[in-house]
Amino acid sequence: MPASWVRLDNASNIFLAARSDADPKVFRISAEVDHAVEPRLLQQALEATYERYRLYHAVLRGGMFWYYLQTSDLRPTVSPEHLPTCAPIYREDRRNLLFRVAYRRQRIILEIFHALSDGTGALWFLTDLVTAYLRAQGADAAGAGGGDTALPADPASQPVEDEPHPAHELIADSFSHYFHRTREPFAPADAESEAPRTAPLRTAATAALRIPRWLRAPRTRVHRIRGTRTPDNRTRVVELTMPAPAVLALARAQQTSLTIYLTALFFRALRESIGPLGHANTLAASIPINLRQFFPSTSARNFFATVRVEHAFDADGAGDDLGSICHELEAQFKPKATPQALERKLRRLIRFERTPLLRILPRVLKDAILRLINWGNNRGLSVAVSNLGRVVLPEPAGSRVGRMLFHVSAVRPQFCATSHAGLLTISFTSPFVETDHVRAFVRMLTDSGVDVSVAAARVTEDELAPQEPGA
Amino acid sequence: MRRCEECAVTIEGTWTTCPLCRTALIGDASPDPLPSVPLTFSKRRILKALFFASLAVILVSFVVQLFFARDLDGIGVWRSIWLGVTAMWLVVLMAVRKRRNVAKGTVYLVALIGLVCVYWDYLGGWQRWSVTYAVPIVCASAIIALLITVQLLRIDVAEHLVYSGLTVLLGLAPFVFLVFGWVNNPWASWSCIVVSLVALGDVQILRGREMRLELAKRFHL
Repeated sequence: MPASWVRLDNASNIFLAARSDADPKVFRISAEVDHAVEPRLLQQALEATYERYRLYHAVLRGGMFWYYLQTSDLRPTVSPEHLPTCAPIYREDRRNLLFRVAYRRQRIILEIFHALSDGTGALWFLTDLVTAYLRAQGADAAGAGGGDTALPADPASQPVEDEPHPAHELIADSFSHYFHRTREPFAPADAESEAPRTAPLRTAATAALRIPRWLRAPRTRVHRIRGTRTPDNRTRVVELTMPAPAVLALARAQQTSLTIYLTALFFRALRESIGPLGHANTLAASIPINLRQFFPSTSARNFFATVRVEHAFDADGAGDDLGSICHELEAQFKPKATPQALERKLRRLIRFERTPLLRILPRVLKDAILRLINWGNNRGLSVAVSNLGRVVLPEPAGSRVGRMLFHVSAVRPQFCATSHAGLLTISFTSPFVETDHVRAFVRMLTDSGVDVSVAAARVTEDELAPQEPGA
Repeated sequence: MRRCEECAVTIEGTWTTCPLCRTALIGDASPDPLPSVPLTFSKRRILKALFFASLAVILVSFVVQLFFARDLDGIGVWRSIWLGVTAMWLVVLMAVRKRRNVAKGTVYLVALIGLVCVYWDYLGGWQRWSVTYAVPIVCASAIIALLITVQLLRIDVAEHLVYSGLTVLLGLAPFVFLVFGWVNNPWASWSCIVVSLVALGDVQILRGREMRLELAKRFHL
């Protein structure tokens, strides 16, 4: 039987064009369980989960005009973590799966090439994987401890199908489902008039797609963060773990959402670690939005859009306190993150992508154009921020998983946040060695009375040098 | 867990100084949640530079030949050695670069070798040895080699079909040579055409459906 295939969707093409040595466009979600992970059971759980996610069977191939995902008969295997976080997965001309599963001590790690899926899609897979694993592990432990409880250890024979599962098939591309020009608008249009059209600053940015941003003269000078590249282009990651309620209380005190609060804190931290920003005094961040919350979809494929927010720092420091920045970012973010605004933006994007002239361009040229657009977009961004939100796992995973972590390979300093079991983790990733902005960020949190614990991966030769004995 | 007094945070793992501010830590080490992965240095960039440098040298070598007159005494031998070495280098480069997909690599090689031979023939006064012998023999050999390789290496049909088809089509090129009367001796061309037609029959009759699906996929608009 010929393998089935599907053209790569809208958002995913950019990941192929934009990947580089320092940023292979890979992200990782990991979960810490209450014991050292047992590889044999994890492998069984992976096989059972893999069976149900057809999308994850895909390999990526290049056609004449588009990339496409094609199902394969490859099998995934779990391995002890032996690579730096978010190491490259997709390489041209190599037929391999677009994800990997690893483990280390208590951590179960899922890494995915971003063209395959987004954070939410990956979280579904990890949830099922961890649940299947813990069920098998629980049964195994009970079997070993309690003698003949006769529970099957094979997760495949466990009743994992008891909750309705979304179809994780290859076909579902939610972008064309919702935003193709022949589709009726999904978001109620009457709410549109209520959306504040006179939003401050860059409401016009939603119209930016008409004229690519790189063609327009930049109105504000956006500060681009520079630094020393890590020696072998690996991602520098610093994980911060803290009690979620404490940080939520801080955000509430500023009357803003957690994402916006953390973004504002990030801006303050950058301002403090860089010093005076000089001529290019605007910091800008891109924030991805999960579109499934507005446009219901069970597709595990990419389905998100990004919103850009920015803040210009004054030379005299007026209006640069945390509260003002929160307020300003919130005012920019809110109107752009409505279903109506997102639908308008995405319909434009899809219409652009489906232009006949663009469709008949060979893939190599499409890639070049996307790279150019991506380069233009990058010029307007200082940092990126991503919040996966509070994760809810089904039992037994809910009570047996501690903190969860979310990393992403980054072309610029970035943080990813997620929370589970009352623990908020904020993982800073960067292509640069420097961690000054993380230090400033952490110190602001600890000054506000939040207990923070820090874990960092070693990236430089000095850090990796063997520790002196007794130290 | 260790603690950094300056940052007022606990530090997981075996760090002796704070990863954020380099202050010495106090307290006992804990297991490191992240592995210490030794540095690796990818040779990709060097190989890429070497590849393009080689390509430039080869191209210049070929172009320079145009400036040496055909009747220059003694140039023939030196030209043969020079072109032989550069052509071989080109073949090796391409074979290594396209090693992950044998069928694709074969198409590249057939096209390259064919072009180099025709150019070489032209430089040497167009005795038509390239179109009479070299190109048909290379095409026919490539088709036979591919048929054997995909069987022996058990290459997935979808992986090689389009490129095998292309190689077979290239094998029909000698027909054009015959029609225009460019050949001194027709047996090599005819042999190549026969091999090509047999292979084409195999592709069309046995793999027709797969071929159509594969083409629909690769040329999807």
